Amino acid sequence: MTDITGADVRVDVNAIEKSLSELWRGQQDGEDAVTRAALWNVVAHTSTSEAHVLAAETLGRASGVVPQRTIVIRANPAAEAELTSWISANCHLVGGGKQVCSEEINIVAGGDRIHRIPPVVNALLIPDMPVAFWWIGDLPNEHEEYVELLLGPADRLIVDSVHFDSPADLALVSRIGEQTATAPADLNWVRLEEWRAATASIFDPPPMRNRLNAIRRIRVISGSSNHEFFGESVESLLFASWLSAQVGHTVDANGKVEGAAGSIDYVFERRHQSTDIGGIVLVEISFEDGACASIARDRERGVLVANVDGSVMVQSVTRTLAQRTDQLIVRQLKRIDGDRVLRRVLPIAIKLAKRVA
Amino acid sequence: MSVIAPAIDANPLREGLEQERVPDASCLVIFGASGDLTQRKLIPALYSLAHDGLLPPGQTIIGYARPDYTDDAFRMAMREACDKFARTRPVDEAVWENFAKGLFYVRGEFSEPDGILRLNAKLKECDETRGTGGRRIYYLAVPPQFFPTITELLGREKMVNDPEQRGPFTRAIIEKPFGHDLASARELNRVAVTTFRERQVFRIDHYLGKETVQNLLVLRFANGIFEPFWNRQYIDHVQVTVAESIGVEKRGPYFETSGISRDIIQNHMLQLVSLIGMEPPVAFEADAVRDEKVKVLRALREFPRGHETDVSVRGQYTDGSVLGDKAIAYRKEVNVNPNSNVETYAALKIFIDNWRWADVPFYLRAGKRLPKRVTDISIHFRPAPYPLFNKLTHVTMQPNVLAIRIQPDEGISLKFDSKVPGPTVRTSPVTMEFRYATSFGAEPPEAYERLLLETMLGDSTLFARRDEVETAWAWLDPLLNSWAADPIGPELYPSGTWGPEAADRLIERDGRKWRRP
Repeated sequence: MTDITGADVRVDVNAIEKSLSELWRGQQDGEDAVTRAALWNVVAHTSTSEAHVLAAETLGRASGVVPQRTIVIRANPAAEAELTSWISANCHLVGGGKQVCSEEINIVAGGDRIHRIPPVVNALLIPDMPVAFWWIGDLPNEHEEYVELLLGPADRLIVDSVHFDSPADLALVSRIGEQTATAPADLNWVRLEEWRAATASIFDPPPMRNRLNAIRRIRVISGSSNHEFFGESVESLLFASWLSAQVGHTVDANGKVEGAAGSIDYVFERRHQSTDIGGIVLVEISFEDGACASIARDRERGVLVANVDGSVMVQSVTRTLAQRTDQLIVRQLKRIDGDRVLRRVLPIAIKLAKRVA
Repeated sequence: MSVIAPAIDANPLREGLEQERVPDASCLVIFGASGDLTQRKLIPALYSLAHDGLLPPGQTIIGYARPDYTDDAFRMAMREACDKFARTRPVDEAVWENFAKGLFYVRGEFSEPDGILRLNAKLKECDETRGTGGRRIYYLAVPPQFFPTITELLGREKMVNDPEQRGPFTRAIIEKPFGHDLASARELNRVAVTTFRERQVFRIDHYLGKETVQNLLVLRFANGIFEPFWNRQYIDHVQVTVAESIGVEKRGPYFETSGISRDIIQNHMLQLVSLIGMEPPVAFEADAVRDEKVKVLRALREFPRGHETDVSVRGQYTDGSVLGDKAIAYRKEVNVNPNSNVETYAALKIFIDNWRWADVPFYLRAGKRLPKRVTDISIHFRPAPYPLFNKLTHVTMQPNVLAIRIQPDEGISLKFDSKVPGPTVRTSPVTMEFRYATSFGAEPPEAYERLLLETMLGDSTLFARRDEVETAWAWLDPLLNSWAADPIGPELYPSGTWGPEAADRLIERDGRKWRRP
């Protein structure tokens, strides 16, 4: 049996599917036969060779947890006209020594040949299986025909808002969620999950629940570089917007927030640091009676610790989650439906962005 | 502008989180906390729940048993247990530290009123310090003979809240065996409901906590394609196998009084049969699901009096080898009667007498010291109605089989015939396979994790109800009585084989054979 892992096989763009079949032929016999599996079609869109390599490596790792047909595109209209492709397999051991393999297809297009990418990709998608589109680099303009054709079959658009350079990018993602069948997914939102879980734990005890209506001030501190790029503040924005969305605050066009107990003061602060740029460091939630809840990262112990002043609530400890890009993507792909909470949060984040812009 | 906000029942911040359902903090008291179950299953499962963020911050666990432990000694012993048995290993220090703050120990005899009073004082103290608000779960990880004493003391000391009154919940978890026969099961249930109401009692059958068992409901009722074929018109027969490669190990005394029928068939296996055989419930709610399950048990055909051997086989393992290792006979096991007639294997041919399943045989077999550990359900469909290809050579048409692997290597496969490529018409059976490990990667949670969490959340869908238990005993009792009265005893089978030859004859005389799982 030939080993299908590792080596890239250069193939004709018009015969990719046929070449994949040939790759698998001969893998079916023998005790060490491999299993070909896919739960998703995942298409990564890049425009540079560095991003291409990074995307292929990241999705290769992700396919070990969520089997997928991976298609990595590198499209550069400024490059020399070309259209090439190669295939390979990402194989991972599962229980009982079995190998499960996912297919990887790479397509590189330059010049006017990039317009061949959408039909080629559409033809390569496994039928009846959801499609996730991971857009790396500058966000697409959804009105461009090229982008429209590519995103047409996408059930999910994965972006990473830590790279956004303005609130307009948030608005674009929100608009795609509202106006198309493609559900937005943001890796920055996935990073926030541990903060959401830790904050939720504060309000689990029944006596604490009604205090959600008594929130008067929310202070969010996040890590910042010296460049003060917009993307660095998006995690804080999403967090504050999430609280508002879930508690039922109203946010006006200027970012002014009203809750059951009156107006709510939102404070976004940046703390200069060299690592975890954009990541939340501390959250404080103050209540009408002067009490304060806090959630802080304890980096040494790998947990978030939540406390409430003047309450019998026992300290809550939430394990921090792995934050490598492939792990964030896996967590995203494990969610079968689009994230309705994120859809609710994005329009609020756009309004609150005025407070940090 | 401020408005009057309504009281908030559910925590809205949980929406969309992986930990969407987190119970209110309670005190979980484990009676029999020094036992094996606590160390191997309960505490590791609770720790794993904490690790995954599924326990509320104030969740408190109080061990109650005879040995003289301090809180710290108990914590240390439980830490060792988690190091060995928790699903989520290595143990996360920060999570453990916080989890251990909610672990306490109270020393006492099960029948000692002072011990129960000390326990009550500890519970009240935890309500003050940990915000458990009077919510109680009593886990009776003790032999059934202690149930009456413990429940009576709990009732006498007013440590059980009546759910009819508005107040914090009290729940009781009971481990199998739920009795030895119908009479003892009824007595246990009677004792339980003198102190608790039926809806406060959670009877654990850990099979129901397995992902694959729960997936039976999803497979049948979340997919449109299976239900139209799930009846006597299309199904020829059903096989259920629960095979273990191990012997009775240290459980000789227990097994001598139970045998495989009481240990596996009365509970685990009948749970599987009722999930395969049930009608669609009106809702995915505890009583709706259990109503349908109990209807299946009520429809089980009685064993033919005086002709039980026509539909049943019992066996007992003798010397042999399993997976290459020598295995001794059951009668040579520690604490087993050398002349024991207890069955370590049973095979049954049963029928569900209702419209859906009339005359469709269900072949069940369960045994110890079989060639491998496997639990497997196979649905064997009727052959195609007209043998179109039989006149051609090289064609052997085989019936379709839907196989559901409960453990290990959990998954589902469908066998069907396919044309072998080539100029002549040859057919060959092929399988379409779904494997949990391949598709979902992550290791599923332990059954006890799911069941403990469901108890805390107050959802009893995955627990056996009183009438289920009693109906199962009422059906099985006559067979067990006939076996007890039979002087011949079980047929012997060498360890490492698929049971006595009579089990093969049981199915082969119907023109069928056991599927090799």
